[in-house]
Amino acid sequence: MDLRGLVRRTAMNRPAVLAVTLPGATELRLEAEAEVRRRGWPVAGAPAAADLLVVCGVPAPEDAEWLDRIERSMPEPAVRVVVEDSGQVDHALGMASRDLTDRAVTPRGGHMDDRSEAPVGEPGDNQRGEHEGHGDEHGHGAHHDNSPPAAPEGRGHDDHGMGHSHGGHAAHSGHEGHGHHRPADHAAHMGHMDHQGHGDHLDHQGHGGPMDHMGHGIHAMGEVAGLPMAERADDRDELRLDQLHVPLGPGLSDWPAGLVLRLTLQGDVVQGVEVDHLPVASGPRPPFWDEPWLRAAHGEEVTRGEAVRRRCAAHLDSAGRLLALVGWDDVAVRCRRLRDELLAGAWREGIGGDLRRTVRRVGRSRSLRWSIAGLGELPADRARAAGVTGPALAADGDVYDRLLMWLTEVERGVEEVDDTRPLAPDDRIGPRGRLDGPRPPSQVLLDVLPGLLTGAEFACARIIVASLDPDLDELALATVPGAAHA
Amino acid sequence: MPDAAPLWAAVVLPVALVVAAVVTAGFDAVLSGSAERGPAGGVREAGLRATAPLREALRLLVQQPRRTTAADRLLGRLGVVLVPVAAVLAGAVLPWGFCAVSDPSVGIVWFNAMEALAWAAVWLAGWGPNSALSLIGGYRFLAQGLAYELPHMFAITTAALGAESLRVGDVVAAQDGLWFAVWMPAAFVVYLLSALAMAFWGPFGHPLSRDAAGGAEAELAGVDRLVFLGGRWLLLVVTAGFSVPLFLGGGHGPLLPGWAWTLLKTAAVLALLVAGRRALPVLRMERYMELAWMVLVPLTLLQALFVAVVVLNR
Repeated sequence: MDLRGLVRRTAMNRPAVLAVTLPGATELRLEAEAEVRRRGWPVAGAPAAADLLVVCGVPAPEDAEWLDRIERSMPEPAVRVVVEDSGQVDHALGMASRDLTDRAVTPRGGHMDDRSEAPVGEPGDNQRGEHEGHGDEHGHGAHHDNSPPAAPEGRGHDDHGMGHSHGGHAAHSGHEGHGHHRPADHAAHMGHMDHQGHGDHLDHQGHGGPMDHMGHGIHAMGEVAGLPMAERADDRDELRLDQLHVPLGPGLSDWPAGLVLRLTLQGDVVQGVEVDHLPVASGPRPPFWDEPWLRAAHGEEVTRGEAVRRRCAAHLDSAGRLLALVGWDDVAVRCRRLRDELLAGAWREGIGGDLRRTVRRVGRSRSLRWSIAGLGELPADRARAAGVTGPALAADGDVYDRLLMWLTEVERGVEEVDDTRPLAPDDRIGPRGRLDGPRPPSQVLLDVLPGLLTGAEFACARIIVASLDPDLDELALATVPGAAHA
Repeated sequence: MPDAAPLWAAVVLPVALVVAAVVTAGFDAVLSGSAERGPAGGVREAGLRATAPLREALRLLVQQPRRTTAADRLLGRLGVVLVPVAAVLAGAVLPWGFCAVSDPSVGIVWFNAMEALAWAAVWLAGWGPNSALSLIGGYRFLAQGLAYELPHMFAITTAALGAESLRVGDVVAAQDGLWFAVWMPAAFVVYLLSALAMAFWGPFGHPLSRDAAGGAEAELAGVDRLVFLGGRWLLLVVTAGFSVPLFLGGGHGPLLPGWAWTLLKTAAVLALLVAGRRALPVLRMERYMELAWMVLVPLTLLQALFVAVVVLNR
């Protein structure tokens, strides 16, 4: 091994991971997060910072496009791995890491004229893995830039994002030109100058939507490098201001899996919100965070401790996201560690002290309160009228109150995690609210979102979303036909 | 009057700053690691965690750079490179003991001017990629600048006022007996806050915040990212280090030589900032602006007034 190879190998020893979760894969996400943490790999917040894209869940065919786009906007060497089944994470990450070091040691030219790139879907694409191998180090400038090294088991060949055809842990390499990323390429991650008319960049659901016919005027106004210019509209004070369309999700970190928000921004004020989401299929398993209650409802034996444990973990997960978003990483990572310990079955004595210390730290922080108080006010009467039932109703207030409500429930709950009495079958109050209501609790939370976001500043938007933390897995709950309208 | 540093000091300065930045980032990584994965099991593990910044740098060096459509590459690159350049240039007036690479008669103004370069740097880095999120990040730094800059200026003006000179060497000399931090505590605290804000780090990391997927750094990969984020650590080291000559007596101290005192004090300030960062979330500028203009500006003005009265009567 030459020195350069050794350096590259060492460098990619701990790749930065961007984890993307599809609806229904909460458990896989938790497994992946725990495994990444155990390995000490850095976590990337954006595709540009990532080496390894970990997709948790089974991608639907229509997911291929935005997943590809995220992968394309990652710098070389970039590898995607799809984890579809519980228990595969360790194996999948190990394999992806090997793939990544291989690709780092035998890089392909990134300086070629990317415009001559064959688009995805060209027949030539499928042949790449075959006529290239490890000896291709001198292939700079060739037009097959990032084909994977000839890998065993035929992993190299490219099937355009249908990663699940590789037995659930297919480690992919990039699909096309990595040298030149269209900003819109990872609109799926979070918007890039995604002006009107480009709403369909994100996914096909945008076609025929209201965004499309607004788009026509823009094309008349001209495009720059294929991207439409911003257009103008009246703001709330009836001033004509530039309007920018920025989609959020579905591939963001610290973001509800599968949620897509299409924001209309004027300056930094959110003028309009369209709530959308990826299709949520009702899988064989109930939503992870609601599992104990739903199983009890089906007559299975579930202990109270198990249910409380799940509720506490769900709240810690939500709190961890919110705290990470407000930039308090120190406490956010503690919440996540405690969440995983709880789910792994830690005893009350083992975890109680650490948990109380963390909860108290958040409760005592004046700077946190000062920083987020007053955002996303949702008074109890409005919440009740909207049909909110969970902690968001009990909190009766803003983002900060909802965070404290989660943590209070966690602190109270941790006393009961070892309770072995059976859960009452009529107890249907999951972490996000009543599961037997007319609509799943998260659907209700999604419905109140536009009201809370409109008029908020961009800097507050994601904090407000995280303070409700809707769980899109719940949309698959069969309570109301058509609740999952996608 | 400090000695003139030999010419080689200009070469040593960037190296020393980089070493200090790596050590600081390593300390930060150890603290983050213990929050994330529990306390380190042993010295070896702690050492491994401490080298995380170096491994991260190596990883970024191996990564290929990337481009975005219709990017303003010239200005974007300029912004990225300006961050470490501004840090090193500001470091030129940083006295090491009693000896700085350069000690112009307007050293404090020079420092402030270089640090204002960071405004341009972050905004340009955010502008460059032609991406909404990185532009949002860039503009956030301008808002942050508006919030922190005035109290910051008053704070360093107060120190200059106490020494009756804008020369950094004179400010150090004026603290032979009593450190400025003792009789200008408000200015000192405000300076530390703005040191973090200038380095857009920690509680003032809003321009690079997670809620904008990294903000100004959202589109940076590979070497660009390394230079930008590494430059941020350099800025943090330099701004924290500058609090030593301004408020903590520079190289003055018993027993040890001047350079050792500078080193010790700088390390202490950096440790305080890195450890203190764990107690705070990122401050949203909309809120901090209120505090900065309603509380910190009057506070630093009063502090300056107090110092001025003392100086006039001495």
